[in-house]
Amino acid sequence: MILLQNAIFGLLIGGIYGLGAVGLSLVFGVLRMLNVSHGELIMLGGYASFWLFTLWRVDPFLSMLVAGPALFLIGGLLYRILFRHFIHFPEDQKIKNSILIGFGLALVLQTLAILAWGADERAVTPVYAGRVIPLGPVVIPLSRMGALLVAFLVLGGLHLFLTRTRRGTAIRATSQDEMAAALMGIPVNTVFLTAFALGSALAGVAGALVSVSDAISPAIGLSWTLKALIVIVLGGMGNIFGTFVSGLFLGVAESVSGFLFGNVYREVVGLVLFLLVLSLRPQGLFARS
Amino acid sequence: MRIGAAVRVMALAGAAALVVMPAFTATSVVLNWGFLILLYTALAQSWNLLGGFGGQVNLGHAAFFGLGALTTRILWLHGMAVSAALLAGTAAAAAAGLVIGAPGLRLRGPYFAVGTLAVAEILRITVGNILPEVSSLPAARLAAYAITPRYYLALGLAACVTITARMLAHSRFGYGLAAMREDEEVAEAIGVSTFRYKLLAFIISSGFAGAAGGVFGYYHLSFYPQFAFNPVWTFDALLITFLGGVGTVWGPLAGAVFFLLLREVLALRLGELHLLIFGVLFILIVAALPGGFVEAWRSLPVMRRELVAEASNSVADSVRRRRRSP
Amino acid sequence: MLLQVEGLCKAFGGLRAVDDLSLVVSEGEILGLLGPNGSGKTTVFNLIAGALRADAGLVRLSGRDITRHPASIRTRLGIARTFQLVRPLPHLTALDNVLVAQLFGRGAGPLRPEARDASRRLLDLVGLGAKASVPGANLTLAERKRLEIARALATHPRVMLLDEPLGGLNATEVQTALALLRTIRADDVTLVIVEHNVPAVRSLCDRIIVLNSGRPIAEGKPDEALARPEVIEVYLGR
Repeated sequence: MILLQNAIFGLLIGGIYGLGAVGLSLVFGVLRMLNVSHGELIMLGGYASFWLFTLWRVDPFLSMLVAGPALFLIGGLLYRILFRHFIHFPEDQKIKNSILIGFGLALVLQTLAILAWGADERAVTPVYAGRVIPLGPVVIPLSRMGALLVAFLVLGGLHLFLTRTRRGTAIRATSQDEMAAALMGIPVNTVFLTAFALGSALAGVAGALVSVSDAISPAIGLSWTLKALIVIVLGGMGNIFGTFVSGLFLGVAESVSGFLFGNVYREVVGLVLFLLVLSLRPQGLFARS
Repeated sequence: MRIGAAVRVMALAGAAALVVMPAFTATSVVLNWGFLILLYTALAQSWNLLGGFGGQVNLGHAAFFGLGALTTRILWLHGMAVSAALLAGTAAAAAAGLVIGAPGLRLRGPYFAVGTLAVAEILRITVGNILPEVSSLPAARLAAYAITPRYYLALGLAACVTITARMLAHSRFGYGLAAMREDEEVAEAIGVSTFRYKLLAFIISSGFAGAAGGVFGYYHLSFYPQFAFNPVWTFDALLITFLGGVGTVWGPLAGAVFFLLLREVLALRLGELHLLIFGVLFILIVAALPGGFVEAWRSLPVMRRELVAEASNSVADSVRRRRRSP
Repeated sequence: MLLQVEGLCKAFGGLRAVDDLSLVVSEGEILGLLGPNGSGKTTVFNLIAGALRADAGLVRLSGRDITRHPASIRTRLGIARTFQLVRPLPHLTALDNVLVAQLFGRGAGPLRPEARDASRRLLDLVGLGAKASVPGANLTLAERKRLEIARALATHPRVMLLDEPLGGLNATEVQTALALLRTIRADDVTLVIVEHNVPAVRSLCDRIIVLNSGRPIAEGKPDEALARPEVIEVYLGR
């Protein structure tokens, strides 16, 4: 029964894992750039929610509406200032440069966060923080349930945006074939900017949701970047619902194995899975080959 | 050629000064400084062997540093001679390089970089769980502690890695790595077995990282085993290499001197802010000056020549113009 | 028979780029590979050179099965190739571009002054002697094409696969390039050429094969093969 309860906890946190990963996946799919400071963007979203709550008691589920646009702007700026310069490099060079820049950016953002807000862990505690819904032999924490629901809705919205709107279609076309998209009159440079900003906005929203159930500190970036990478590798690139499902899968795997092997090995399990999948099936576990 | 000779004399004089330094300085502060510069030079150069010359971004370098540190430290504290312990640490890291590289280096795109990052995190977390206690030198070791042998060890290692890099840069192996760094498919098409070259460079690189870790494990009075696996070792290696000049022989040394001087000055005055400066510097160099200091220094004569040429051209132009004008 | 391809197949998703292709290349000849865009010519090169793995079929060099060998081994056995979209090693000088190939190709040897001299001679041969110390990235298109050829020659190939060596060159440059290719053939290097420039193909090739949708539709002396109705239909449409 405790196992089941752990699986449920994992499932609930897994929605945020999926949401945290989908932004990174979007940026990589469209720009062929891997922003390894994605976790730091999630961290910034978490702080946005923390401060809105601490200063004005804004509910973290509402802060999302601020953290998303704020990170959209920050992402757009980062793209304009840093990543734009090598967008037309050959793919290998582009990936390498984006990893290096992201590596430096992670240090910069983390240090900025320490300077601005200190190194302490922060938490958001709305009134419903500890409430649970009893469901037979197990309980479901209210706030985490909400986070899962919101993650699902945001990803659904993203799916609609990418498939049903002009802009979304332009983004998908560019990720398929940049040259062909450009020839068809799609302004690919704007698409790159939009995709990067949108990916960052998704990180911001994910960060706000993280703050609902987890502590925020300047140092959490790396582990969120890794989680996002694990989810992407498990789910395969460029499939939103695949990403969501593999987020849930990682959540369950983490909490169940944390229960079985001890909580200190939670993170290791995800990373080991990641390496296994990489060496056996680089295209992803749930991806169609 | 004249500049080359001057540099060579300076390098020889510098090397001689490094060797005799312990005989002249009584304060261990200076030696500690020298030690750190040499240790960081070795660490950065070890990253540079694969990352700079071969173009493969390893984000898990700390794992090999940590393996070397841990192995050496444990064996040494259990009574093994430090030289043997150091060799064992090097071998452990090199073996890990083989085990991780054989599958890892076949990965395309970003997966080698993120895969090595994942390996390092797995090791860091696991070591932290298994060995949570701080590792301190026992009283007897503490009483016998002297900086001079540690300094020489670091000097020997830094020299060894730098000489390896220098030999590499001017060898067939080095040319193969350079071709691979520039364009893997072309390298294959002209006969370079890229996977074998990558793997070999990776093993050498991780072996030297392990040796640097071993020297660190022998040097430090007390540290948490987990600390030797901290991603900061990877980051410092990258930062130093890029500051000094990625893919150059002398870049890591130049970068290490600059890095430690600046860190000392800045950390004292600015605290955490110095990390921000390093981060920004790193980004700037990756984006705008991929050759680092060494490349900037090397292009100085060229720039001077171009300036002179431009000046004489404009003089010639104006002379011509004057002639043409009535 | 120097090079032999039997029943070669390669599909990308649902598209059959090369479909049960068989061909032979004799020692010393110049074979032209023609066909409309997308007919699979470059894929054939990639399969022969080892940049792509075949789904089915065999590639033999002097009777030896090399189908499963990686590209680097094939180069060391004597297959060299140039790329349609030229790919100089951008940060290496023209000389070093050739030198690497000299060090690792079929004539692989240690780094000695002789290797450098040989590379310099090859640069002279293709007319890049004066550009030896210029980085690959700073060469013009015509120079890059010649560098590709020098680099391929430096591997001491028995057969060279040239992917549109004349594409993008002006009339004078084409003449220079053709003269160069004849010189190479005179040195006993077998050539397989993918090229769209039909007059050049007529004057250069001993034999051509025309591909369409990954299959050969005509083969023979250039004039004969190009006059076949199937070929005309493919090129001009119905």
